[in-house]
Amino acid sequence: MGAAPAARDVTSYGTGLAAPLALFFLAFFVAPLLQLFWLSLHNDTAGLHWGIGQYLQFLTDPFSLSVLGSTLLLGAAVTAVCLLLGFPIAWLYQRVGPRLQTVIILIVLLPLLTSVVVRTFAWIVILGRQGIINATLQSLGMIDTPLRLLYTQFGVVIALAQVQMPLMVLPLITALGRIDSNLEDASCSLGAGSWRTLWRIVLPLSLPGIIAGCTLTYAAAITAFITQSLIGGGQMLFMPMYLYQQASALQNWPFAAAISIIFLLAVLAVVSVFTALGRLSRGYGGA
Amino acid sequence: MMINRRSLLTTALTFGAMKAFPGLSFAQARPLVFATFTGSWEEAHKAVLVPAFRKANADAAIVLDPMLSVDQIAKVNAAKANPPIDVMLHDPGPALVAIGQDLVEPYPVEKSAYYKDLITEAQEPMGPAPFFQVVGLTYNPDTVKTPPTSWADLWKPEFKGRVGITNLNSTLGTGWLVEIAKMRGGSEANVDPGFKALEELKPNLAAVAANPGALATLFQQGQIDISPGNFNAIQILKARGVPVEFVAPKEGAIAFKTTIHIVKNSPNRDLAFKLIEAALTPEVQTTLMKSPYLIVPTNSKVTMGGEIARILAKDTAELTQKFVFQDWKKINEQRAAWIERFNREIKL
Repeated sequence: MGAAPAARDVTSYGTGLAAPLALFFLAFFVAPLLQLFWLSLHNDTAGLHWGIGQYLQFLTDPFSLSVLGSTLLLGAAVTAVCLLLGFPIAWLYQRVGPRLQTVIILIVLLPLLTSVVVRTFAWIVILGRQGIINATLQSLGMIDTPLRLLYTQFGVVIALAQVQMPLMVLPLITALGRIDSNLEDASCSLGAGSWRTLWRIVLPLSLPGIIAGCTLTYAAAITAFITQSLIGGGQMLFMPMYLYQQASALQNWPFAAAISIIFLLAVLAVVSVFTALGRLSRGYGGA
Repeated sequence: MMINRRSLLTTALTFGAMKAFPGLSFAQARPLVFATFTGSWEEAHKAVLVPAFRKANADAAIVLDPMLSVDQIAKVNAAKANPPIDVMLHDPGPALVAIGQDLVEPYPVEKSAYYKDLITEAQEPMGPAPFFQVVGLTYNPDTVKTPPTSWADLWKPEFKGRVGITNLNSTLGTGWLVEIAKMRGGSEANVDPGFKALEELKPNLAAVAANPGALATLFQQGQIDISPGNFNAIQILKARGVPVEFVAPKEGAIAFKTTIHIVKNSPNRDLAFKLIEAALTPEVQTTLMKSPYLIVPTNSKVTMGGEIARILAKDTAELTQKFVFQDWKKINEQRAAWIERFNREIKL
């Protein structure tokens, strides 16, 4: 902020170059969004009567609210799993030789190179009654009847965590790579143990990466229509499926529009929490 | 594709010209667009119906744009005056929605050479039914040794944790629920007994699939051993070596009319009519009836053969007698409420 006068020239160039993209967004994102909002402000499916009936219907209906709640919780669970599993990988990446680094980056990127549908079907094979997990446990004699893994909340979280993992690991690798390794050495030489170093030095400094990763993973996980419906099945209702059902099977566009607007606002609220945490991390960076 | 200044300029000019002269856009030159269903329908139509149509109509240009019924309706609804689709294909529920929203034209019955040959159930003035879909019981013969004979078999204790169903988003799921309700004294207007029966089915349920396609693949994974299923989908799986068999339950297999419609305001009205005519011919229907398509014909001039004659019916007379046709007008009235109820009540 202190360098505002110098930055002004740069930004004026920036806006000029950003104009095509801005126009594109205006035409293909903002305009449809406004249209969606306009549609949601109608009380009947034909779109003739104005009113906020659709919003009232959603917000006063415990069932609809529970769908919203479970979707937001699903995102939180997936993000937590991705962070717990992804952070060590990103940390490892900074500490191995270049050859292993290539291997790690390849493994992390590999899921992005296959279609979501294919990845999700692989999980059906893994989690099914005669899938890899059940077959292994049964042959080891640990269970008698197959466990129900597919079509459960657990299955959805695991599958989504794998599918969205790159979105968490890549920002983490970048953030961890930017940390000056001398800081960790300094911490150790001043008597801090490795856990303390991780907790007081590495984690706070990688916070921007953690927040970027969490935001991306969260947004992707709660909107992952394909994985949610294939692994969760038809009885586990999350917002994307709810929306699809109303818009497509029932042709109730105003209600579907209201659902999308509410969903959008809920996601924005969560993202703004992440952003607030991001400000906190800048505090750490300056310290 | 490289984007350079020239291509950008061309695009801009094209858009500008289309804006300035709206008649230029698509009105005359667009090929016939036929929105078929995805998957086996698309394969069958690409291989049989489209060549037959092109042969009869001097190689007229035609494009298949496969999508679900509900998406077809959404697309046409979004541009009623200049619809991007000329011919729509619909399950019974969506067909009534499309007709109700004034999206389709009446079929020019008097001009049609084949309409009168269709069995009575298929003669729909707003768009005839060139095909039937048939829903019965599907099971895995490796694990289910005695073939099921009735819908009621799904409730047998031996199928604990082995039954699959779909939710009500699909025609299959909704139609099946109505049949279950009927079995227990309900009707198209009263599915209460069906929901009670579903409640009792819960211990047996291994999966509530999001759509019929996902349901069929669960046989492959051994996730389920028995389910209501679509005859065609099962034949395709069977042909690929998946252990599945289809039986018509003694209550009667459910037949869904798949109707084909000319879209209102279509710029290709004549060609659309000709495509539908081609779909009604005994020749096309006979080819589609044979392996690997096994689509149930509706033209009474078609002689039943192969798997269809063996499993379903040996002629159209037996077919109309053995199949159950449902009143989708009644079903549509309450379908939204049922979907809502299913959402709330069916949790595994």
